[in-house]
Amino acid sequence: MNKWLKVNLATNEMKDFFVLEETLRKFIGGKGLAVYFLWEYATGLEEKGVVIKDIDPLSPENMLIFATGPVTGTKSPNSGRHHVMSLKSPLTGSIGSGNTGGNWGAKLKFTGYDGIMIIDKAEKPTYLSIIDGKAELHDATEIWGKNSVETSSFLRKKHDRKRAGISCIGQAGENLVPMAVIMNEEHRAAGRTGLGAVMGSKKLKAIIVEGDNKPKIAKQEEFESKVKEHVEKLKENPVTGQGLPEYGTAVLVNIINQNGLFPTHNWQKGVHKEAEKISGETLTEQYLINKHPCWGCVVACGRKSRVDSGNYKITYTEGPEYESIWALGGSTGINDMTAVIRANHYCDILGMDPISVGSTIAAAMELNEKGLIPEEDLQGMNLEFGNSDVVVELTWMAAFRQGFGYWIGEGSKRMCQHYGNPDLSMAVKGLEMPAYDPRGAKGIGLNYATANRGGCHVTGYTIAAEILGDVDRFTVEGKAELTKIFQDFTSLVNSSVNCLFLTFALGLDEYVEMLEPITGWEFTADELLETGERITNLERMLINKLGFTGKDDTLPKRLLNEQMPEGPSEGQTVDLETMKAEYYELRGWVDGIPSPEKIQELGLD
Amino acid sequence: MEIYVKVFATLRKKYPDINDLNPLKIEIESGISVSQIIVKLGYALTEIHLILLNGKKVDSETLIEEEESILSLFPPVGGG
Repeated sequence: MNKWLKVNLATNEMKDFFVLEETLRKFIGGKGLAVYFLWEYATGLEEKGVVIKDIDPLSPENMLIFATGPVTGTKSPNSGRHHVMSLKSPLTGSIGSGNTGGNWGAKLKFTGYDGIMIIDKAEKPTYLSIIDGKAELHDATEIWGKNSVETSSFLRKKHDRKRAGISCIGQAGENLVPMAVIMNEEHRAAGRTGLGAVMGSKKLKAIIVEGDNKPKIAKQEEFESKVKEHVEKLKENPVTGQGLPEYGTAVLVNIINQNGLFPTHNWQKGVHKEAEKISGETLTEQYLINKHPCWGCVVACGRKSRVDSGNYKITYTEGPEYESIWALGGSTGINDMTAVIRANHYCDILGMDPISVGSTIAAAMELNEKGLIPEEDLQGMNLEFGNSDVVVELTWMAAFRQGFGYWIGEGSKRMCQHYGNPDLSMAVKGLEMPAYDPRGAKGIGLNYATANRGGCHVTGYTIAAEILGDVDRFTVEGKAELTKIFQDFTSLVNSSVNCLFLTFALGLDEYVEMLEPITGWEFTADELLETGERITNLERMLINKLGFTGKDDTLPKRLLNEQMPEGPSEGQTVDLETMKAEYYELRGWVDGIPSPEKIQELGLD
Repeated sequence: MEIYVKVFATLRKKYPDINDLNPLKIEIESGISVSQIIVKLGYALTEIHLILLNGKKVDSETLIEEEESILSLFPPVGGG
């Protein structure tokens, strides 16, 4: 345990290194440790006179980190995940960050490594293998140009390892599309902030891992007894035991739409009149083949799906998840689930973030509606809301930077700036927001505004309390504290690393019960929450170095000033400033920057 | 009076054809509670987690008095 691999792609030098126990206690692993490494790296660069915020995210200076945590790969439920980070995102200029399911995290752990740090850039296409404890770099020329499914099968065959874990980029990453993702298990993605383009800029096509080193557990008996209890709690909980297994994440389409916060027509409205046709219930009834759990998962929200007839017939794909359905279908105003499935499939195989793809297409549709895109740029393409064919076509074109697809791949912020109306980009810090309009749930608006990586729901999923729980969704009162707790707890989950969906059934006390027997260290629930707070703050200090401060903790003007025009959230706007002032106070931040006292309190000085 | 009922997720096992685009039309007496309707539909109150009446969140003791009201019923669900 605790062994990391550092790879320099320019010199082909690879060396192991070990992390001090003191550092692990402070940052746990996963995201926490990755943030710590990036902080140390950035500080080192500054000492050499480099201005961090001026670094080109696609230059060799960017660092890419794949991280597991102490829980990853153990018998603790839903622990197949890993976290990927880069110093800078090519989409946003803020930190690059993505957490993914699948099995790769567990399989990396089984190689004997807890994580991989990638620096510099290879001269030619390269892939990394870590098999039976041995790390090697290989020429990837023959797989450069292949999609994620082709790449994965090719490498498994070449290494004669049917069960190996493979992380790779598709063509979008190779083409440096700023919203490219890193895929694993063919249909799982470290999906936001363009990490695939960072990997592509380093000419690193894939990482194949396999081994049989089982993670060490300090107190085996106690651990196994707690695992049993946690699995029982997950099975008994109606969300993790019934709702998610039965319908997947797409079950949210109807509930969010019925509450009037399902953004459609690029967030001009909050109710999609035909959402039923792209709902989780419809997916289950008409397109579901089976469930596909991640490694060690007892929930199994993953979907195997197919389309039997029509233009978008496909014999096998996976998903789509709620967020993908919303972005590719809801936001663009389409009602054809087969088109959503096809566009989502393209995102998977070509390696792109469906949230950013769908949201940017929706923004283009509104630009077009307002007559802001010259006809010569569209070359006859019909960009009307509700046109499902154009959503599929543009998704493909974005990955290859073809025609108008170039602007889709660039993301809504750059595209809307280019066409003269930046306010139509529904993004925060340049990252397209996901599927909940904060005019209908105020806390999630504060979370979008303050999340370090930009417009993101899984940094602090207050929807669990505001829509799925009993907290008043329209009030701003108490939302600062709610958001802070969700954000800090999530930082802990992503550092452990296991699945955020566990938190529907398991709380901080259960995280103590997981981490204590695994590590052999003692924690209290409060200490773990403070660890989450430490990680959130160090990540914030890092984005401050990247030039982001309080002015960037905001929302698109539409959400602040335009009342929701209809439906159950009619008349609402977001009073962000009230929530933000209270949030900064609670956080000990001044203008979005942690105060010296807070930095000292958290041991970050 | 007549009202419309929509059921979602696992609640559809009892009414597979009822959805947002095809609600169930039922005849009720004005002033009866949501919980009475839930029972009348054959559900246990514990199966229902979220109730929306004309898009607004209500509890099971809320009385239905408006003609053509839309009652939406959800079990516990989550995702993200």
